[in-house]
Amino acid sequence: MASRPGLRSIAAASTSASRTFAPRFVPPTSRSFASTHPASRPTTTTNDTSDRPTSFGFETVTESEKRERVAGVFSSVADSYDRMNDMMSLGVHRLWKDHYVSSLNPGYTPPGQAARPQHILDIAGGTGDIAFRHLHTAHVLNRNPDVRVTISDINPDMLEVGKKRSSILPASQQAALSFLQANAEDLTGKVADNSMDLYTVAFGIRNFSNMPAALQEAHRVLKPGGVFACLEFSKVGNALLDSVYKRWSFGAIPMIGHLVAGDRDSYQYLVESIENFPSQEDFRQLILDAGFGVAGQGYEDLTGGIAAIHRGIKPLA
Amino acid sequence: MHPPTPSSGALRRLGTQRWTTAAKTSRQCAAIHMTTRATVPSTKQTLPSHAVRAAVAAPSSPTLPTVTQTAQRRTFHSTDHPPPPGPFGATESALLAAAYQHVPEHGFSSAALAFGARDAGFPDISTSVLPDGEFGLIRWHLELRKAELAGRAEEMFVGEGKGKEYKIPEKIEMLIWERLTGNKEVIGQWQQALAIMASPTNVPVSIKHLAELADEIVYLSGDKAVDPSWYSSRAGVSAIYASTELFMTSDKSEGFTDTRQFLRRRMEEARGVKGALGNVGQWVGFSAMGALNVARSWGVRV
Ligand SMILES: C[S@@+](CC[C@H](N)C(=O)[O-])C[C@H]1O[C@@H](n2cnc3c(N)ncnc32)[C@H](O)[C@@H]1O
Repeated sequence: MASRPGLRSIAAASTSASRTFAPRFVPPTSRSFASTHPASRPTTTTNDTSDRPTSFGFETVTESEKRERVAGVFSSVADSYDRMNDMMSLGVHRLWKDHYVSSLNPGYTPPGQAARPQHILDIAGGTGDIAFRHLHTAHVLNRNPDVRVTISDINPDMLEVGKKRSSILPASQQAALSFLQANAEDLTGKVADNSMDLYTVAFGIRNFSNMPAALQEAHRVLKPGGVFACLEFSKVGNALLDSVYKRWSFGAIPMIGHLVAGDRDSYQYLVESIENFPSQEDFRQLILDAGFGVAGQGYEDLTGGIAAIHRGIKPLA
Repeated sequence: MHPPTPSSGALRRLGTQRWTTAAKTSRQCAAIHMTTRATVPSTKQTLPSHAVRAAVAAPSSPTLPTVTQTAQRRTFHSTDHPPPPGPFGATESALLAAAYQHVPEHGFSSAALAFGARDAGFPDISTSVLPDGEFGLIRWHLELRKAELAGRAEEMFVGEGKGKEYKIPEKIEMLIWERLTGNKEVIGQWQQALAIMASPTNVPVSIKHLAELADEIVYLSGDKAVDPSWYSSRAGVSAIYASTELFMTSDKSEGFTDTRQFLRRRMEEARGVKGALGNVGQWVGFSAMGALNVARSWGVRV
């Protein structure tokens, strides 16, 4: 962010101007990447709900507007994204991610048996955080080099961050990585039916304009018996912790966001989007509605529900 | 279906549900939505008192047992191992039932789960959907074996009222023994299972399972109200069951005859039949100690 004078000045201009995002949405001409999206997004006639109202933070906008605004938010915070995550998770998001990936245990093979290939789709995987953990668990801990990960994100800037970071990985892990710019709500032509073992989305799904569409796509691309997994900020169960956390997130974080990234509005959006995200029970229902099965209660709370892991399985045909 | 709440009509029905043709193969299981508990009507058999109580508790229940037939003793390796009733969805049941076949060799472990998933035609990643991994496999065992008891009780007490009479303590002893024989195939893995059950996150569920088992045994032995003794209380049955079970994990005798005798002695002590332990004060001391150790083996931090 700091290295992009153009972006910075736009962001700075908008911070004074209340919480509307439009001014900061970068005109396509200023960045070659962004111009591929959303302008060139194939408009499907059957599935196009672009005009439908959806939430953007606490504002209500159309779905296509939300897509653009979310793109703006993540373009402007891509580089400082980790710091934001640290703040929102009270510093524990790395532990959550570790737990999340080790609980999925990619590449695990029954003892004495031949390892089988696995293909993981890391949706909204921009920074690569989750994908790199999967590769490490699969290749190093579970000694299964036949595990590939495709990092997919709607935002080319986020993918760039991921690409840059992946250069420090061992060559074999880099070879098992691929990148895909795509909108998670419509992966047609980009990800084949029944092709994935694991669909994972961490801290991404609350930004989608149309969550049911994304869940249906997840169901489509997973193999029968494949697993849908989602790590997301969630609803705090304990009232006291909840009020403390809300105070922190609404009060402090946009301030800090302003200080570290010079971009108060983007952080404000992130906090509000967390608040708007469905409860654990409601999200579980969305997963069931998409055709997945769940086991037990279907989710696991982390740190009192500040975040939660949901898992679903595509039934065998 | 209802969640199993001890002593409710729902539990009674769950506890006696016999799974026959429902979800015979894992593929069929998987075809059923996971949260849809299979409600395939099953043939079941019940003690007469059972049916009466269930009828009283839930007069309009569609799952009331109607058909009575002789229960088949299930062998461990039967290919159509029935999913036990309880909190398991269809896909979860398919995964756990397949994995359970690997417990004698691989223990209650991720390895058993992974082998099972392959057997049932699932990709390796699929076991990660199970919320509590190997503990889920233990819960499967507990539900399965508890669920078998009602059918067995009917077989065991079939002569009752036709010339043969059993006293309640006798029936409790028979039921505990019957339930313990359900551990035979996995006994080599059971100490490890107890350790998993005793881990802090699992303790509440482990204790609930023990309490439910004790309730079931007390219930199947006849009406508790007519026999208010310690050995027929939930605490008493829990203590005697769990201590005998613990003994069994290190019993090397042929046919577990030592365990059988251990159980008999515990029952005799509880009934004050013989020896010094018949003395109430000492019995209380013993049972307190025993209950303590037993509680520890099932994970209570005391
Ligand atoms: C908070 S980041 C998560 C990054 C990473 N998974 C992590 O846990 O660190 C959210 C990501 O979702 C992406 N995103 C938002 N809407 C999307 C959509 N419709 N399809 C795909 N990705 C989307 C954003 O571009 C952003 O990179």
